[in-house]
Amino acid sequence: MQASTQLAVHIRAVTKTFGTGEAAVRALKGVDFDARQGELLMIVGPSGCGKTTLLSVIAGTLDFEAGEVEVFGSSLHGMKPREVTEFRKRHVGFIFQQFNLIPTLTLIENVCVPLLINGTGRRVAEQKSAALLDRLGLQGRGHELPRNLSGGQQQRVAIARALVHEPRLVICDEPTSALDKDTGALIMELLRDIARHPDRTVIVVTHDNRIFKHADRLTEMEDGRVQRVHDQAGNSGENGGSSLFPPSPKLIT
Amino acid sequence: MYHLALKMLLGDRAKFVMLVGGLTFATLLMTQQAAVFFGLLTWTTSHMRNMRAKLWVVDRKVEQANELKALRDTDVNRVRSAPGVAWAVPVYMTIQSAKLADGNFKPVQLVGLDNTTLVGRPPVILQGRLEDVRLPNAVILDELGVKRLSAGRAKPLGLGDTFELNDKEARIVAICRADRHFFGYPYTYATYTQALQFAPKQRKMLSLVLAEPAPGWTLAAAASSIEAETGMKAYTEDELFWSTIWWYFRNTGIPVAFMSIILLGLIVGTTISGQTFYAFVHENLRHLGALKAMGASNGLLARMLLVQSLTVGFLGYGLGALMVTAFGRSVLARGEPPFMMPWQLPVGTFLAVMGICCLSALLGIRKVWNIEPAIVFRG
Repeated sequence: MQASTQLAVHIRAVTKTFGTGEAAVRALKGVDFDARQGELLMIVGPSGCGKTTLLSVIAGTLDFEAGEVEVFGSSLHGMKPREVTEFRKRHVGFIFQQFNLIPTLTLIENVCVPLLINGTGRRVAEQKSAALLDRLGLQGRGHELPRNLSGGQQQRVAIARALVHEPRLVICDEPTSALDKDTGALIMELLRDIARHPDRTVIVVTHDNRIFKHADRLTEMEDGRVQRVHDQAGNSGENGGSSLFPPSPKLIT
Repeated sequence: MYHLALKMLLGDRAKFVMLVGGLTFATLLMTQQAAVFFGLLTWTTSHMRNMRAKLWVVDRKVEQANELKALRDTDVNRVRSAPGVAWAVPVYMTIQSAKLADGNFKPVQLVGLDNTTLVGRPPVILQGRLEDVRLPNAVILDELGVKRLSAGRAKPLGLGDTFELNDKEARIVAICRADRHFFGYPYTYATYTQALQFAPKQRKMLSLVLAEPAPGWTLAAAASSIEAETGMKAYTEDELFWSTIWWYFRNTGIPVAFMSIILLGLIVGTTISGQTFYAFVHENLRHLGALKAMGASNGLLARMLLVQSLTVGFLGYGLGALMVTAFGRSVLARGEPPFMMPWQLPVGTFLAVMGICCLSALLGIRKVWNIEPAIVFRG
């Protein structure tokens, strides 16, 4: 399914500084950024370029100083902290680099956390979580602890946890960096499928150029700014430059 | 979410055991030591429960029930003549040596009761007849006395048996139950006249006067009247009780010794619990940050930490209270060390333990409150 032209995330001139005085580090220096509904968008760039800071701002987990951040039409700038928390609770799903599964909880219990936070009853939450784990290929393993699973399986549990409350925005921080190539590819296929939902947007921060091919678009960052936006057609936005998408096999031959 | 909070806590066995163990130890230390302290304080006022009178008239310098200064024999009549006094009787109290069958000596608390009324008589007669105490050389011995003075005998002392009291023959006519003396001496009752014969003669032999207010007189009014008329000190039962208790607070190291151990229990409990719980929160900070990122409010996380902390508090308190109860039952059966657990004590300890838990949770809550959910994106 093609990405719609409706914007899921609309960011203009956002700045963020960590620290004060001489130790101050400007992580975002007036970032403009858009993500569309129904697309899988990757934010890429070298370490320290501000990718994770931008992701945190989009997710509403980090305040910013200036600029405008709109997520599904809601401006985060005007929201009180409680409203931002409420927004995250309902609309954002998270997939972390280190999975962040709670080791003492079973897979089902880990997955049902967002539902419980949203006020869903325990029984219903556990049923939905078990069903989602089944769909993600973890049939019958819901009562196991995360330590019994491989990295790929743990990331699948994390994906289930990110999707169980049906969020519109899924935020992924280096989802494949702790996985081998094949498992990473499988996880990206899964995320690719998730992003096909017309009302959902998946934003992935990654260093891993092996997975770039799974993105609809790539936002390239450098030194706290968005440098270029690449799409599958080979366009690289107004700043030009070579496409980060790998050439198709057809072109190579 | 609270059941998940508990699973997170139970999943970390080492910290869970440490937390429950620390709080059990704190409960045990605080409750057991306080119970022994209260028991000891209770022993200081055993005379009052063993003699039971509304007014206690003593020398004006006397501050507590275990340190009596002798009065003149005529003072009892001066008390009787004071307005507002229904009756007043003399009591003689002294520590005397009883000789055992094996030649050893044991001190006993000899109480000389008014010959006619026997006011101040032992609270419970187990064997024999109270009135027989008026027979020549007769004494009533308490259970502890039977146990102590039977040493070296083929069978325990019983009715009709004799022993030497200050080189004079004393014949047991009754066995009673009495509250334990502060110094651990057995109570031995005799008539006032007989008690004076057991004890070596001194210039003043009257220890105190027990009295009761006349109808229409309040205790306070009758006591004031006695003091005004005689120049002696007239305590109501309640006044003498608290005066005795406070005397031990002011003049002995007992309260400080016990309080320091109780305080130690509180400090140990707070330190172990606080530190362990803080470490638990610190180790789970990443997960708590993830929950926060997923939309868990600070309030929800605070309640989760409180549930965890109070759960270990309940468990630790419960185990500690059970152990203290077991200790109490065993010592009460033996009669020592002193042990007294009024309902206020377990309630107070419970509140202290819950306070420790709330404080521990507060340390964690403060930490969680301040973490940014963005922490989860930092490698």
